[in-house]
Amino acid sequence: MMRYLVRRLLLVPLTVMAIVTISFIMIHAAPGDPVLALAGEHGDRAYYEFMRERFGFDDPLPTRFVTYASRVLRGDFGNSYVQGRSAAALIAERVPATLLLTASALVLGALVSIPLGLWTARRAGGRWDGFVNFFALTLYSMPLFWVGQMAVVVFAARMGWLPVEGIATAGSDATGIHRVTDLLQHLALPAVVLASHEIAVLTRLVRSGVAQELGRDHVRMARASGLSERVILLRHALPRPMLTVVTVVGTRIGQLFAGALVVEIVFGWPGMGRLLLSALQARDAPILLAFFFLVSCSVVIANLVADVIYAAIDPRIRYG
Amino acid sequence: MVGSAWRRTRSLLAGAICGFITVTGCGDRTTESRPDTLVAAIESDPGQLNPAITTSGGVHTVADLLYNGLVGLDEHQRPVPELARSWTVDEDGRLYRFHLQTGVRWHDGRPFTAADVVYSFNEVLLNFHARTRASLRAVLLSVDAVDDSTVEFHFRQPYSPFLQQLNVVEAPILPRHLYAGRDPQTSRHNIAPVGTGPFRFVSYAPDAEIRYARNPNYFGGPPAIAAVIFRVIPDPTAQVLALEAGQVDWLFGVPAAQQKRLRGNPRVRMRQTTIGSGGTNCMVTLAFNLDRAAFTDVRIRRAIAHAIDRNAILERIQFGSGRVPLAPISSRIPLATAPGLQLPVYDTALSARLLEQAGWPRGQVLDLKLLPSFRAYAELIRAQLRAVGIDARLQLLEQAVFVHDVFDRRDFDMAMISYCNGTDPQIGVRRQYVSSSIGAVPFSNAAGYRNAEMDSLFDVAGRLVEPADRQRTYLHIQQLAVRDLPYIWLLESEATQAHLVRCAGFAFGAHFAATARCR
Repeated sequence: MMRYLVRRLLLVPLTVMAIVTISFIMIHAAPGDPVLALAGEHGDRAYYEFMRERFGFDDPLPTRFVTYASRVLRGDFGNSYVQGRSAAALIAERVPATLLLTASALVLGALVSIPLGLWTARRAGGRWDGFVNFFALTLYSMPLFWVGQMAVVVFAARMGWLPVEGIATAGSDATGIHRVTDLLQHLALPAVVLASHEIAVLTRLVRSGVAQELGRDHVRMARASGLSERVILLRHALPRPMLTVVTVVGTRIGQLFAGALVVEIVFGWPGMGRLLLSALQARDAPILLAFFFLVSCSVVIANLVADVIYAAIDPRIRYG
Repeated sequence: MVGSAWRRTRSLLAGAICGFITVTGCGDRTTESRPDTLVAAIESDPGQLNPAITTSGGVHTVADLLYNGLVGLDEHQRPVPELARSWTVDEDGRLYRFHLQTGVRWHDGRPFTAADVVYSFNEVLLNFHARTRASLRAVLLSVDAVDDSTVEFHFRQPYSPFLQQLNVVEAPILPRHLYAGRDPQTSRHNIAPVGTGPFRFVSYAPDAEIRYARNPNYFGGPPAIAAVIFRVIPDPTAQVLALEAGQVDWLFGVPAAQQKRLRGNPRVRMRQTTIGSGGTNCMVTLAFNLDRAAFTDVRIRRAIAHAIDRNAILERIQFGSGRVPLAPISSRIPLATAPGLQLPVYDTALSARLLEQAGWPRGQVLDLKLLPSFRAYAELIRAQLRAVGIDARLQLLEQAVFVHDVFDRRDFDMAMISYCNGTDPQIGVRRQYVSSSIGAVPFSNAAGYRNAEMDSLFDVAGRLVEPADRQRTYLHIQQLAVRDLPYIWLLESEATQAHLVRCAGFAFGAHFAATARCR
């Protein structure tokens, strides 16, 4: 196990370097120029030349890559071309909001989908199973953007239960419990909307896995020996499907971040997604590369953690 | 046993839902709970708050309230005193002398002087402000502080548009004592700004909100409202919903499709404007690539112009918001008033005849490139062109790719572009017609229009001082443009701003909140 872990950990920097190199080439090969974001529609040729020289855009791509890579190795991701501030700092400012949103969605997804999957598995083929299955499929087929807008229209604009946008009430100086309450009010809708796809996917996974397990010999055996239904479900039917759930959650981290981008735009949530979008439009390479570095690290590590959990909950798996 | 477990789960779930509703059901989120505060929605985080190093509308919309220019522009875009209380222009228009307000202080308490003006122009604006640099660097000889309250601008030649280029959007003045000797692009004061404007900076939460407080010592008189909060709400529909829910007071723009619904809301007022921090007096334009063989014959360009129903664009796409242009230059620029011009009218029969005379090859497909925001315009135009036998293939491109294709590679047949004409044709219109601005500069002469007479007329107009002489020259310029049709002028666009009725008294332009009152 330890050898496997060390081997996987050694692969992390290599994978990340490969991703950053490919991203660097792709960003710089794409048409467009960050100077456009500064100049608007009125810059002249001299302005573009002045700014391009200032940012070092006239240097050959390999030279720029070497400069960039050596800076990254020292932990310096450079300054945003458009905002003039450290790209790492700009991202770091937004990490907490995105982590809060994605973690809430993940937890909410697990809290809803596992009980719901178990509940429907016990009723496999029944009316409620069909209804939940239909509901999950419908939810999964709807774009997050639309689900988000509908949620805002119904729960915020029409019913007035929750705020329309943002992470806190405008101009709020609340502290302590009031601040937490205010944050929860603002988090509720975006987290539920982002969790909706997770709920749809995971409920179906748990349901089908558990339903399959319930028909197996070891469950029949457990039932014959008089164990309670709760013990049968939680101890005998659930563990094996949970392996699949953990693997799927690990692979969905990237999709969750992509979903967060959409949700952040709909709800005005101040996370990394919006920074990424504006950096993409402005071709602000330092922000984009720092972002790709962070996300690739997260995804690689999330997959590693998923593998470790996999081994921990399934005694048959031994890494060597 | 099983039953009791499920019952427990159910009661836990019910408790959680009840608790959540209790938690979320309380608290007044509407802006009415803070009567002296204005909450304005913005589409994107400005990133930084130094308006002197960028022409980005996102930065200026937010940051301009903190700063001043030497002059302001009134509702009709006429120069009025701001940091300069008066000015004189010497006889041939080569020297502008400004007498500054006395007793003006920066938000940190230091006095504002002529040295701040000289520093702002020489070290910042003429380097980093793209529009000011592009228009002034070639003609401005020097900026000199005569004394603490007098500044002189010396020009190489008579330069008449200058007073239009000194407001807070074009030439905001920065505090020399905080910026001198440092890189203005990376200064820490770009996110903790110090200005002379009607509001002073309080806090900046990236991508969430920016807070300002009233400047009680503002030389123009302190604003009536105590605070302005800018909320970042990227989705325009969410902005409208937030206004309806009373969670924001002010929107800089309302999408055309939502305007009808808001008009029926008694708590909301709307108004039209052509003035914007990102661009003023903008004209939606269809550019022909004159380097393409398809457009060398002016009859083809004229036929396309006759095939497009501009009134339909105004009514169906903009729901009546804006104007159908009667001349190539915005009708909001008094200097460019051009009565009697005959722009091609909608006439499909004439269009078909012209195409036939010019020998238009049936089946030829034209590439029409555009930004996604113009999709509805382009779809309507494609349908109108099809009616006279012209097929257009739409290519929706993001801005960076659009600029690359249209201006760098010149790989297009037709392109839709919004040219903001500004307040003087020399600033916002010249770039669209002179041959020296063809090439790899975004939003310049997209058509590739080359006409020595046109180049010379713009040079002459920039040197003229008398308004009547300038107006005559711009009329001549527009006559040439209508004759040669390098572009079709589709729509003079307007922004629809909206606010809750609890707030009133908004000014037009960059200091929109300085005169506002909220109750």
